[in-house]
Amino acid sequence: MVKVIYVESNGTEHALDLSPGLSVMRGAVENNVRGILGECGGACQCATCHVYVDPAWFDKVSDISAIEEALLEDVCDGQPNSRLSCQIRLSEALDGLVVRLPARQV
Amino acid sequence: MSTNTHPSATDPVYWDPYRPDINADPYPVYKRLREEAPLYYNKEYDFYGLSRFSDIDRCLGDVKTFSSAKGDILELIRADMEVPNGMFIWEDPPRHTANRAVVSRVFTPKRMNALEEQIRDYCAMCLDPLIGAERIDFIKDLGDKLPGGVIGMLLGIPDEARDAVRERVDASLRTELGKPMEVSQSSYQGEGFEEYLDWRIKNPSDDLMTELLNVEFQDHLGVTRKLTREEILIFINVLAGAGNETTSRLIGWTGKLLSDNPEQRRQIAANPALIPAAIEEILRCEPPGPSVARYVTQDFHIYDQTVPAGSVMMFFLAAANRDEERFTHGERFDIHRQGPPHVTFGRGIHSCVGSALARVEGRVALDELLKRFPDWTVDLEKSSLTPSSTTRGWDTLPAFTR
Repeated sequence: MVKVIYVESNGTEHALDLSPGLSVMRGAVENNVRGILGECGGACQCATCHVYVDPAWFDKVSDISAIEEALLEDVCDGQPNSRLSCQIRLSEALDGLVVRLPARQV
Repeated sequence: MSTNTHPSATDPVYWDPYRPDINADPYPVYKRLREEAPLYYNKEYDFYGLSRFSDIDRCLGDVKTFSSAKGDILELIRADMEVPNGMFIWEDPPRHTANRAVVSRVFTPKRMNALEEQIRDYCAMCLDPLIGAERIDFIKDLGDKLPGGVIGMLLGIPDEARDAVRERVDASLRTELGKPMEVSQSSYQGEGFEEYLDWRIKNPSDDLMTELLNVEFQDHLGVTRKLTREEILIFINVLAGAGNETTSRLIGWTGKLLSDNPEQRRQIAANPALIPAAIEEILRCEPPGPSVARYVTQDFHIYDQTVPAGSVMMFFLAAANRDEERFTHGERFDIHRQGPPHVTFGRGIHSCVGSALARVEGRVALDELLKRFPDWTVDLEKSSLTPSSTTRGWDTLPAFTR
């Protein structure tokens, strides 16, 4: 299992043990973590699964595709460490990953 | 009354999209569908239906089994029309992927939120003349005007032409009471927008139409090119159609639910920070598009039954949104709900591309309504539901403002 810590914008933490292969978006939606919508189901279309990856982890998560990069320019309150969490697939190497959720997705 | 004279309680559960009596309050039927027939089959119109949240969440994402290539409405799938290229809502990957990406790029949350001030001004223009009035009509005074106005802003269509566009789209979706709708292809091919497009080619601006004219993308054959005139017309028509009636319904349900729940309305009026959550709860409780349909491409097994290839599957989004397995006290309207997201905008690659826009419009509309009319009570006697099998909501919804 891979431990992921989701931190809501109000500070509430959710530490979840998730299966490798799952996306960070899916892990949140399936476990009722508020603040991630994921409407397009992981197709990298809707930009409603925006997260801030903790700087200590940013270089360890997978690379950003051209489509994701374009969408990241247009999320609410984007930051240099913004990612779409549907595009981050969990592996043992990400055990302990910390992501922070924006105050709003849309 | 004995139970024998109350057929709904003892007969097998029945649902079709055309019955006004079911449409008036479909939720007891949806509850029975979830409990008694999680895979429903309707003999009369020959379609299947799923109503539980987990089934819909999973199956809407399975576009290999549940195809959009013949349309997303029961009658359209049955009509088996040829779908023109660019009609992205009725395409499967890989064709859909390239076309949808073009549209997704211009409908992002940040871009839609950037329209907020313009939307606010438009609401003020609609509502200011009514200040002091004893009655307002959520549909005639706002719902009929705002969504078309906003799509017009996006597309750069002049104000005076917007009403005509809305009328044409609404009429194409209207059904005769109790009957399936008539299907014709002409209503989806961009008729009515040609002159604006040709004018825009000569007069570029910063609107969506200009952006669609300039965008370069890689199509499903791997060719990098611009959109054709025909493709742009189809895109525009889909966006204008989809963004109009549905958002009008959202405004109507906002009026209705906050009339039925005055205590929650007062809380929102006192604390506008509650507005985003209130709009999500309105969208959950009363989805403007209560169901979508898909064509079944291969035999599908569920609940010890087989749905044969070639069938039509309906997804009852409005039923899933109240599934108690997913939403505690699912039938209860509660703006303070701490729960998972609804499926009103669908799930997967065909989820609503305009959801961010709908949300901005809903939030601003509610905010501007409450600023001018903190109290209202719907006049149900004089209200009427729309006769449409594809959307559910109010055609007229007058309310007393004090």
